[in-house]
Amino acid sequence: MKLLANPEVCTNAAILDLWHPLVPTSEIQVGVVRELSLLGQAVSYLSTSPDIYRAWRTDPATPVGTASEPSSVTEGLPILDRYGYLWTSLGVPNGDLFDIPEYDEPDRRNIHAATIGVHCSAPRAIENFLDMGHFPYVHTGVLGIEPHTEVVDYDVQIDADSNELWATQCLFFQPMAAATSTAGEMVGYTYRVPHPYCSLLYKTSPLDESRMDVIGLFVRSVGPDRIEAHMILSLIDDSNTDSFIRRFQQSIFAQDKPILENQNPKLLPLDPRAETPIRSDRSAIAYRRWLSDLGVTYGVIPEGRSND
Amino acid sequence: MIKIYDYILSVNCYKQRLMMSILDVPFESIPIDFYPGWEHKSEEFKKINPLGHIPVIDDDGFMLRDAHAILVYLASKYDPTGLWYPTNNPELIGETAQWMLFAEGTTNTASAARLHVNLGYEFDIEACRAGAHRLFRVLEEHLWFREQENLGWVCSGEQPTIADIAIFPDVILSEEGGVARIDYPALRRWTDRVKRIPGFVPMPGIFPVGDARPISHEGEANA
Amino acid sequence: MTESLMNLWHPIASAEDLPYRHIFQGQLLGRELAVWRADDDFVNVWENRCLHRGTRLSIGRSDGLELRCQYHGWRYANRSAGCTYIPAHPADAPARTICNRTFPSVERYGLIWSGEEPTGEPPEIAALENAETLLLRNIAVNAPLNLVLGHLANYRFSITGDPDNLATTSMDYQDGCSLSLTATCDGKKSTVVFFVQPVDSNRSVIRGVLSNSPEGAERLLTLRHHSAELSRLRDIVELEALDGPSLEPMVATIEQVPIALPEITTPSGRKAALRVQVLRKWATAEGVVGLELESIGEPLPTHQPGAHIDVHLPNGLVRQYSLTNAPGEGSLYRLGVKLEADSRGGSACLHETVKEGDVLAISEPRNNFPLRRDAVKTILIAGGIGVTPLLSMAQTLRNNKLDYELHYFAQTDGHLAFPEVLNELGEAVVLHLGLSPDETSQALTALLAGPQPAMHIYVCGPGPMLEATRRIASEADWPDEAIHFEYFKNTIEVDSSSSFEVSLARSALTLEVPSGKTILEVLRDNGIALMSSCEQGACGTCEVTVIEGEPEHQDVYLNDSEKLAGQRIMTCVSRAKSPRLVLDI
Repeated sequence: MKLLANPEVCTNAAILDLWHPLVPTSEIQVGVVRELSLLGQAVSYLSTSPDIYRAWRTDPATPVGTASEPSSVTEGLPILDRYGYLWTSLGVPNGDLFDIPEYDEPDRRNIHAATIGVHCSAPRAIENFLDMGHFPYVHTGVLGIEPHTEVVDYDVQIDADSNELWATQCLFFQPMAAATSTAGEMVGYTYRVPHPYCSLLYKTSPLDESRMDVIGLFVRSVGPDRIEAHMILSLIDDSNTDSFIRRFQQSIFAQDKPILENQNPKLLPLDPRAETPIRSDRSAIAYRRWLSDLGVTYGVIPEGRSND
Repeated sequence: MIKIYDYILSVNCYKQRLMMSILDVPFESIPIDFYPGWEHKSEEFKKINPLGHIPVIDDDGFMLRDAHAILVYLASKYDPTGLWYPTNNPELIGETAQWMLFAEGTTNTASAARLHVNLGYEFDIEACRAGAHRLFRVLEEHLWFREQENLGWVCSGEQPTIADIAIFPDVILSEEGGVARIDYPALRRWTDRVKRIPGFVPMPGIFPVGDARPISHEGEANA
Repeated sequence: MTESLMNLWHPIASAEDLPYRHIFQGQLLGRELAVWRADDDFVNVWENRCLHRGTRLSIGRSDGLELRCQYHGWRYANRSAGCTYIPAHPADAPARTICNRTFPSVERYGLIWSGEEPTGEPPEIAALENAETLLLRNIAVNAPLNLVLGHLANYRFSITGDPDNLATTSMDYQDGCSLSLTATCDGKKSTVVFFVQPVDSNRSVIRGVLSNSPEGAERLLTLRHHSAELSRLRDIVELEALDGPSLEPMVATIEQVPIALPEITTPSGRKAALRVQVLRKWATAEGVVGLELESIGEPLPTHQPGAHIDVHLPNGLVRQYSLTNAPGEGSLYRLGVKLEADSRGGSACLHETVKEGDVLAISEPRNNFPLRRDAVKTILIAGGIGVTPLLSMAQTLRNNKLDYELHYFAQTDGHLAFPEVLNELGEAVVLHLGLSPDETSQALTALLAGPQPAMHIYVCGPGPMLEATRRIASEADWPDEAIHFEYFKNTIEVDSSSSFEVSLARSALTLEVPSGKTILEVLRDNGIALMSSCEQGACGTCEVTVIEGEPEHQDVYLNDSEKLAGQRIMTCVSRAKSPRLVLDI
């Protein structure tokens, strides 16, 4: 994978001190060094044997594709193998990665659907993931359909203990809510943002009303306005192939991509008067305030600054 | 019923789905786990197409690969008007072949750039983008002059041909690869016209356009 | 240099770049523009970003009257660029402040001219002031304006279209962004004027106009010749630009979402912000006068279907009238005014005194009767002059291809207002003429039978008819949210929410906030200028501090603990649980 020329390097501690997803572990070949860009920095990674990984800041003298970590690397980056992805941090992560208890349930189908490159900022992608009002227009016939365009009021809260953002009681009419749906219905969603660049959505499983299917968007910020979006699902599903489920998710995301790439400015403006929120944008309004409160400056236009 | 070895996000597979929808030909998609499965490169699939590409069609036992060849076949067999692939007009058929080859170029530049950005394919992205712009400039001038003669399609006829179908998806999704179309207003008007062809269907990443203005009694129509 | 470019007019498209129902994507001095020709031929030049989330409007759709954003379907009207509908909230009227940034448009020499902050008018070029000009193919160049102009100064072409027979050219004039060349060959002359559009610091568009178009086959030959020569020039210029200094792209400033200007209030609390002239006045029905009002100066603001304006009459009275035309249609407001027998002078004044050509003061449109566009079917019920807001609704539903019926109850055929509009609406209109009250009730019972989910009813007419409709609909099990009434008299409240008092600590004023009015509206009516923006409780602009009392929060801006603390309130939507609030203003 070639690196992009001159990405802007992140110096924002609020973002650096987090875990970030690099690549799906299923795509890592044993014994081959690969590199990519994370937050504007070149990072190299390697699997020395199955399930053993190493990551480090790229040594410019080392060509890509070699078989081992250069001896010049004195300090590796911290790594985590979680939810099917290799995670690392360019700073000092405060604790563990957020928890998804559903992932470990024995009968779960945990699927990495795709990693798609998008020319937009991570916060724009997260905000789009939280939004329902676009369903009838961008995911026509699948996640929404005219004239069922109304977004009824829902709740948004910041969990005081975990400092995660939650949007609950979300409800929307969907003609084809999941790959398995056969008819339209009102579908209930819960959204969770445990990390500035990661979000999860929970919907009731069609097979078991007491359990939730989980769909996640984990974003690797390549630069401030360029991302690799990883899509993950953790489902109760006993009939569909992985391939079928992946195709559904991929086609949904492929519909969002041109919208994300046609938003300006690319960096998410945090000033409440930069754009026009309406009542149905509760989660977006809260997400932008939450990013401000966390001190995020990468991938956004902080409050009080004009866009430029 | 025609079977097509298909992937929802493949530009070349979409060309077939689009053509078959316009010609009202029913078909069955056999999904290939293109990404991340790379099923089209598997030994199993290479028995169907040794080159390891999709789309491939299977029309009641008749197998054909290669997006542009399949368009030729579909139009020849299923178009009662004979206008989509006008074999009875040597000049038009020559033009159609010329622009189908042009479409090979747009696929290898604009759509290659898209694969690089979306799925990390190893292509020289700058060369792809520069190549796409070179081709778009040629097509822009060409379509502008068509409009000067009150025509609207890539070939000289009054109806679109498979050349329009072959080029359209590479053009309309070019922005996904970082090839903007703001400098090509005639190209943008042409994409609106293609979207208004009866039977048009989009793929993810393509938005529909609204209806054309109804023709007034003075005979003024939409371009 | 850039400052003066900002004050000039520049060509941004050719007229032929704008077929109906197409949105052209352009750019000038770094700012992207969405340019579209409405069905009434008005050329809209808007900043190419939706106010909601910055999505390019050029990927949206035009239906000839409105532009629809691709992301959330927000609709913006022709001419005013105001938002007329937000699908996520189909029952609400978008705040009037939601209006895209527009730029002027003038058509001249086959080109569309616009500018950042242009002064005066687009240039007048004597050589082009004739009907025979020929617009050359526009050429986009990746090079700065000056470099392009420099090379154009040496441009040579053939009058006959023969590239081996280039004519001698001389320059007629050159200025900062255009020049004119005249070629002479064998006694023949040809003049070409080049306007160079400064797209960005390193991008331009060459727009050439020939002063005299050749006829017949030569026309195409000439166009091809210039296209080829200019393309060669472009290739040379671009190569040179690559060697030049690398230039930072121009950055267009994006304005913040506008705050509604505080209104300077008159004693009646309502400002007449607009001046209009009576374009046409005619008898549209028995006892009903039609009025068409057009703006003097500034274009008229967007109105939404169901909206009304205050008309400040020459005799000092202020009366409300519904707008009968649909958004996006034309640049005028159309009203229907019934002569009321017990008129205190309002309708009489409009019937007898006001004449075509008179200037009236009116307010901006307000909408307390917004139209949902997400109903499976809409039934409009009009009693007499109550048809006026429903006509706007009917046309809007028709334009959007939504299913509806308009039931018009009137005394006789001659009492039907705006028959030409009714004819256009065709079979969707059902007339009920000369019915007695009992017959009316029967007709209402019939048309209100069988409520279905996602059907909506809009009723406007005399009080007794509204009461009858309310009763019949309730008996037929229509849900409350599905029926919408507009009363033409101010005093009757439609809303059953709270009424309470607000006491203003710093202004020593106590005001009553009746049901159906917001705190914000009451404050403004009484001369307290408060700023607002979204008017939906989302952006926080209209916030006020609460000193005493228990607010009833209906906004989405404050978080839970802020709401619990009860010290802040969004005056555009929130109300009070206690009988009184003391506000720190």
